[in-house]
Amino acid sequence: MDHLLQIQDLCVEFKTERAVSKALNGVNLTVDKGESLGLVGESGAGKTTTALASLNLLSKNASHKGDIRFQGKSVFQMKDKELLDIRGDKISMIFQNPLTALNPVFTVGEQIAMVLRVHRGMNKKDARKQAGELLEMVGIPRNRVHDFPNQLSGGMRQRVGIASSLACNPELLIAEPTTALDVTIQAQILELMKNLQEQYNTSLIMITHNLGIIAELCHKVAVMYAGRIIEYGTVREVFSTPLHPYTRGLLGALPSLDEDKKRLTAIPGNVADPRKLPTGCRFHPRCDLQDNKCADKCPEMICITEDHYVECWYHGGGND
Amino acid sequence: MDKKVLLKRMKGNPFFVIGAILALVILIVCFCSPLFIRFNPIVNSTAEKLHSPEGLKNGLSGHIFGTDQLGRDVLSRLLIGGRFSLLIAFIVVILQTLIGTILGIIAGYIGGIVDSVIMRLCDVFLAIPNLILAIAIMSVLGSSPKNLVIVLVVSGWVSYCKVTRNSVRVVKNQDFVHASQVMGAGKMHIMMTQIFPNVTTNLIILASQEIGNTILIEAALSFLSLGIQPPTPSWGNMISTGRTYLMVRPWLVLVPGIALMLTVLAFNFLGDGLRDVFDPKRVS
Repeated sequence: MDHLLQIQDLCVEFKTERAVSKALNGVNLTVDKGESLGLVGESGAGKTTTALASLNLLSKNASHKGDIRFQGKSVFQMKDKELLDIRGDKISMIFQNPLTALNPVFTVGEQIAMVLRVHRGMNKKDARKQAGELLEMVGIPRNRVHDFPNQLSGGMRQRVGIASSLACNPELLIAEPTTALDVTIQAQILELMKNLQEQYNTSLIMITHNLGIIAELCHKVAVMYAGRIIEYGTVREVFSTPLHPYTRGLLGALPSLDEDKKRLTAIPGNVADPRKLPTGCRFHPRCDLQDNKCADKCPEMICITEDHYVECWYHGGGND
Repeated sequence: MDKKVLLKRMKGNPFFVIGAILALVILIVCFCSPLFIRFNPIVNSTAEKLHSPEGLKNGLSGHIFGTDQLGRDVLSRLLIGGRFSLLIAFIVVILQTLIGTILGIIAGYIGGIVDSVIMRLCDVFLAIPNLILAIAIMSVLGSSPKNLVIVLVVSGWVSYCKVTRNSVRVVKNQDFVHASQVMGAGKMHIMMTQIFPNVTTNLIILASQEIGNTILIEAALSFLSLGIQPPTPSWGNMISTGRTYLMVRPWLVLVPGIALMLTVLAFNFLGDGLRDVFDPKRVS
């Protein structure tokens, strides 16, 4: 069976005047129908680049290798017309900053209606009505369709963003929400997305650096570091027995309610600079298990069990 | 936007109210003038030349603002001349806005070489002083109202282009533009539907002030006898011919001068008011 979205060996470089910045270095990822995948990693790990690449929306100074197939068809070979049809209809995206993702000069109803009119060919009246229903679905009273974005709170704007991305019942939703929201609103939005996902059997890629959100919402998780996926598996497997030192570091940096921990462990050093990546395993300068082998050669993805893959010479901890 | 809100904002904005009323009165009076003027503005009557303003002493059938050196009624000439001046100003501003805005949006949104070409073209036009360009074109093409419009449009579209281009460059990098790209919007849609409404604020102000400015330039050209040709009246050539009598018959210059000033003021007020009224970012 074809996967819904299949990313194969994707490399993306951004050329600037001063340097070449290697944002993605061989990403492999598949998403199936109805599956929800969490994509975690520090800022600059390549999460958003992966998302934009799947819509073929990388900026002009980016060059790419590898392939992304959506429903079996490569997005890089699609014609402009096909891409326009897919964006917003089959694949939809929720932006990280709800405060700027809406056009300030249109009412929220008009903005949702615009998506419907473009992709569904609806007339103005029907689209407006449907927009009202969508707003109700995300928990905003219908009469607020006539409000401008500045009249809504951040959480409500985020919901409007969600409503407009869900307007066409997309096959795949790429969500990057909640970064700019406070925790109570975040919880509401997550609850909402969970319900919607179950209701419509939409596939979901959740981009975040909040591990809690992933545990709450996703089946699978992919941990990204310096443009590669370094650990991948079901949420249960990866979070209970993390194998990559980086994943362990991430989980160790979380406060726990059960244990009486005095201090959180931090991962030393900074995120790898995409302009001059370290040789070998990209994480080795920050890793406490590193030795010569790590600096020489990049490890392959190793299959531990059906549900768990890791990319580390010394996965599991011991120097075997 | 809700009509009620718009109406409320309009009423609450003194600039808009004053500007709108003044502009409306000027427009209506000028454009309806053929219905009620008592004297032919073009025909000379040497017996009555250089009468002082009578005010309302003889009622509406007297020479309220006096007569000029050829015995023509100043008020009639003022109103008919205003018709020409305003009509030309409107046509010019509409054409300028169209050309300037479209080129500006294209330059700002597409960028790269297109942007460079359009901007250098603007620079070329900016490098030549408006009035000199106008004089050059008018002396080659000859002076007719059509050529006057062409001259004014050619010398004025640059500022719209520059203003639009710069605001577009700011807006185009905002998240909602990316968001609409992700939602499957094409280039035309993004330029015209997403970005354009966000840059109109500056354009409205610029256009309404340009109306005043255009009337002034047209007056200046007529003053240099390159604009509207006598005996057809325009505010510019009225001032120009009245200049000779400035010390002895000051009303010949003052009347069209004050009319010009009031009109320009009215449109500047209107522009400021419109900006506040149509500002979608304003709460309430």
